[in-house]
Amino acid sequence: MQIQPILAALKRHKAGTFLIALQIALTLAIVCNALFIIQQRVERISRSTGMIETDLMAIQNMWVGLSDENASEPLIKADLQVLRQLPGVQDALATNSYPLRGGGWSTGVRLNPEMKKPAAQTTQYFVDDHALATMGAKLIAGRNFRPDEVVAIDPKKFQFSPTVMVTKALSDKLFPGSSALGKQIYLSDGTPPSTVVGIVERLQVPWKGGFADNFEANSTLLPVQLTGNFTTYLIRSKPGQLASVLKAAPEALFKANRMRVLPSERGVRSFAMVRQDAYKSDRGMAILMGIICVVLLGITAAGIVGLTSFWVGQRRKQIGVRRALGATKNDILTYFLTENLLIGLGGVLVGALLAMGMNLWLMKQFEMARLSPLYVITGVIVLLLLGQGSVLAPAMRAARVPPVEATRSV
Amino acid sequence: MLKMTHLSKVYRTEVVETYALRDFNIDVKEGEFVAVTGPSGSGKTTFLTIAGLLETFTGGEYHLDGVEVSHLNDNARSKIRNEKIGFIFQAFNLIPDLNVFDNVEVPLRYRGMKAAERKKRIMESLERVGLASRAKHYPAELSGGQQQRVAIARALAGSPRLLLADEPTGNLDTQMARSVMELLEEIHREGATIVMVTHDPELAARAQRNVHVIDGQVVDLAEDPRFHAHVAQVADATHGR
Repeated sequence: MQIQPILAALKRHKAGTFLIALQIALTLAIVCNALFIIQQRVERISRSTGMIETDLMAIQNMWVGLSDENASEPLIKADLQVLRQLPGVQDALATNSYPLRGGGWSTGVRLNPEMKKPAAQTTQYFVDDHALATMGAKLIAGRNFRPDEVVAIDPKKFQFSPTVMVTKALSDKLFPGSSALGKQIYLSDGTPPSTVVGIVERLQVPWKGGFADNFEANSTLLPVQLTGNFTTYLIRSKPGQLASVLKAAPEALFKANRMRVLPSERGVRSFAMVRQDAYKSDRGMAILMGIICVVLLGITAAGIVGLTSFWVGQRRKQIGVRRALGATKNDILTYFLTENLLIGLGGVLVGALLAMGMNLWLMKQFEMARLSPLYVITGVIVLLLLGQGSVLAPAMRAARVPPVEATRSV
Repeated sequence: MLKMTHLSKVYRTEVVETYALRDFNIDVKEGEFVAVTGPSGSGKTTFLTIAGLLETFTGGEYHLDGVEVSHLNDNARSKIRNEKIGFIFQAFNLIPDLNVFDNVEVPLRYRGMKAAERKKRIMESLERVGLASRAKHYPAELSGGQQQRVAIARALAGSPRLLLADEPTGNLDTQMARSVMELLEEIHREGATIVMVTHDPELAARAQRNVHVIDGQVVDLAEDPRFHAHVAQVADATHGR
């Protein structure tokens, strides 16, 4: 190998060498973190809500002209009856929220009234005995709510529910190593306890990230029909009939009672649309980061091609001399590949440190997760391969310089 | 050592064929010091590049150290250049990014020689040309004469069977040229085969044998009218007529 003379020669071309190594280092640092962000967003987008999302739709309903908060109770009951009897509908549910909706209720859960700090954070879904069937959520222990447990309450007066169902994630958080089934939990300060009667395999909270990242599957279902001005309906159509139900359901609701508003935006949506809307910014961020990666890698590759082409042009005579002194075409090719590899190694070494430093900064500033070393290792390999790939064409051009070039005057 | 028979080199374009060498015949024996002379454009540098396997030829035969080289591929030609031929160029052709030691080391590395053996040979060669103390200097820090001595050390380090010199004193002043020429004579006395291309009759006269090239052919000096015309031309230039 010719590492020592190549290093000696590079020392005489400090500026070009430094700039390319710096470009590689910055590209590695940015690409590693960008790929990490992409991976996090893709992972977030791919998360299961815990519901069977096909054949599911949501309607946001706002009552108009209610005399008081409790006046909506019979209206909700009537709506549910209409929806459940609609051809093509399998089941329907009135709730305050659902996974990925973006807004809902959350509270701290305590295991006894004396606990100063909640043992876990949870979202509260106010539902009835149709919740599991409509959502497609899986009960893995205990039982579903009975119809007689469901009570209608004004949201402003709600305090507690004697029975609840919780997700397995919340159960594990509250009672590590055992089950929450049959145990009592406290959902508010100074209220009586709620008994856990069922464990649901998974049910995501309404928020897709941010503050909810720490309790993304900690959900509590309460057998409560919240009255008030706003009601959300989740409707499960019979298989393959979602399109017709999407059209028929709002029409049926208006036919039953015209004193309502379904917002033109997000009023009636299939769950596929709900998911798309919820993760729009994540998808956008992932695409943006992807574009940044491609552009940066492209610029770095172009920089390497440019500098090597310049050096090949500059060293034509020198290459001829080397060929005259016995270098084969392969020797010349290897020389330029090795030279690039040495610059690349310097760049990725600094780049790896920069990548980790940048991640620490992002962790501090934006609560990003710690960058896995796998990303840095992958980035290092990608950058080194990119360098070798970029240098190949000019290096092959260099290898084609004939030995007779040594006798030509510049 | 070096034998060319009816050798030709033709440069072809779409409209014209130019013979750089035509029916070129030369036979250099082992241990000879031959000067190849001729006017500019006569083909003497083309001869040297073909002799040094830097270029291919169009027709005829060329035997180098008993091997017919026309059928050799690029790698085999590189190997012969590396192991059997030492080059001394007019412009020295040292690699400016490498110091003297590393410059002399270049052909030895391509030979795949072990580091210890390389170092021994480099230092011997540099001592031979009186520049061992300058091993860490860069070419730009040396005079023209010193640079050419480094080039000679580089050519000698690989113990070649044949030294090819292309106007080795062309870029040097008289004093440096003399010292380089003395070095070449010394190397020849030690048994090296040297073929030197020069247009300088004084330098050519110091070689064992002169071969004159005119219009791409080796000519008999006594009989060829082109030689007499060339001598007259040189004389005119010398006397400023």
